[in-house]
Amino acid sequence: MCPSTRKESAVGGWLAAGIGLLLLFPLSSPDAYLLDVLTTGFLLAAFTASWDVVGGISGQVTLGHALPFGAAAYTLAILTRLAGWPIPLAAAAAVLVAAAAGAGIGLLAAPLSGPFVAVLTLALGEAAHEVAAGHAFLSGPGGYAWGGEGGIPVALPWGDVPPFASYYAGLLFLCLSTLGILFFCRSESGLILRAVAGSPLTALASGVPILRFRRLAFAVASAFAGAAGAGFAIHVGRATAGDLSLELSFQAATFAAVGGRGTVIGPVVAAVTLHALFQGLSLPPAVRVLVYAATLLATLRFFPGGVAGTVREAAARLRPRERGRGGRSRGEEAPPGNSP
Amino acid sequence: MTALLAATGIGKSFGGTRVLDGVTLSIAPGEPVGLFGPNGSGKTTLANVLSGLLPPDEGTIAFDGGDVTRMPLDARCRLGMARTFQIPHPYPSLTVQEAVRVAVGSAGPRAVPAGGTREEKIGEILSRSGLYDQRLEPCGRLSQGCLRRLEFARALACRPKLLILDEVFSALSAADEEELLALLRTVNRESGAAFLLISHNRMLLSATCRRILYLEEGRIVREKAV
Repeated sequence: MCPSTRKESAVGGWLAAGIGLLLLFPLSSPDAYLLDVLTTGFLLAAFTASWDVVGGISGQVTLGHALPFGAAAYTLAILTRLAGWPIPLAAAAAVLVAAAAGAGIGLLAAPLSGPFVAVLTLALGEAAHEVAAGHAFLSGPGGYAWGGEGGIPVALPWGDVPPFASYYAGLLFLCLSTLGILFFCRSESGLILRAVAGSPLTALASGVPILRFRRLAFAVASAFAGAAGAGFAIHVGRATAGDLSLELSFQAATFAAVGGRGTVIGPVVAAVTLHALFQGLSLPPAVRVLVYAATLLATLRFFPGGVAGTVREAAARLRPRERGRGGRSRGEEAPPGNSP
Repeated sequence: MTALLAATGIGKSFGGTRVLDGVTLSIAPGEPVGLFGPNGSGKTTLANVLSGLLPPDEGTIAFDGGDVTRMPLDARCRLGMARTFQIPHPYPSLTVQEAVRVAVGSAGPRAVPAGGTREEKIGEILSRSGLYDQRLEPCGRLSQGCLRRLEFARALACRPKLLILDEVFSALSAADEEELLALLRTVNRESGAAFLLISHNRMLLSATCRRILYLEEGRIVREKAV
């Protein structure tokens, strides 16, 4: 078995164990609040994984990733509440709207790099947040004003859902979403995006149309963010201006940095763990933001590759070299063509 | 014979400095051409303009019968004009095999000969450029010699009609230089790819090229058949 396969098997084993523990956790009769915290954590983790497609794999650090998340949440709320669409249809439309929003952001951000991407996306995200927060643009029956900070309620066809049902639905969503993102990242497009992030110049000289691939990264990441946004709106029963907030975008970037940008699994684990930790500790919002900032700074200072990146580096250093330079192990295929 | 590459009246300035001043050159299909000049003569700028990394301020560039003056680097690569860089910029997180896979995949159908598969093509390029045994190494950990080979492998991936090689032999050991030169000659002989070899090593150019262009202060001042 080659080292990379063995490493993947080990990661898969740890993940299976983690998922197994999460599956068994509701059986320990935790209180509803903790289950709700974890359910929200699963959705935030799926959102963080989607951030990693554009901010990690393709190297375009966005600070406006809440825009497609919130756009999907609002689309779902408007379509179910006003147009009477069924949830599955509205959710599909919400994902499409999020992908379109991402494609639009990508159109503007693809020619940029580094801090310019961050500033542009931050500005777009904040503009969307201000529009959503500042306008009570709809009037519901009974004189209720919809929109503004209060947001728009989602018309759910079901009543109260038991917390463990939401918990398992959130966990299933996270697993499926992460699998989809991993599938994309391991595809030919994912490989090219990693190349573009590593060296745009070499990618260009290899014939890669880098702008097209960066736009693709924004669109795909936004579609997954939209799915998480729609899921979140269903979970809380409402789309609010907070779904478009800068804090949410920063949260995803921080979780991904801590977990290890570009690794997908690292950001997911970090998001669930840190969200549960901070929420479980019931820290006031202001303290929470400070803790996020301190965590982010400490990570960037001491573990620039995040936890996953640092562990991977350490493993690579410790692993004995299995093949000498220029040598092949017994039974390994000979090189094709004019092999020496 | 129709020129594979024809550049006419190429001019390029940076600020108030005129780096290229009316450069005109042509390369026939399969022709090995050298470009010699002292440091600061504009060799790399000319390579950047010819390959599409920089647009010229003046002049036109035709490649394989079409005007490519405003065509970007990636599109020219897909047409069969490949280049290497004086300082390699490897993909730090990709393996050697993945780097070649990116180049083969991006070059489109022309990269893979009829009847062949993409995997065969990747294996052949790795083997030809002497990187087969390093194929699973991350590019970021390669030695200088292997990085130069990888640059070469990447350029070969699009089955180039023209290779623009900017100081590809600098900072190499004598053995590495000899091996890469042999590879370059083989590619030129077998696939008929022309090349523009840029160097300030006149001996190397004389041993490799059929014609040498001398660039000084942004102008072609002399041309010599070898």
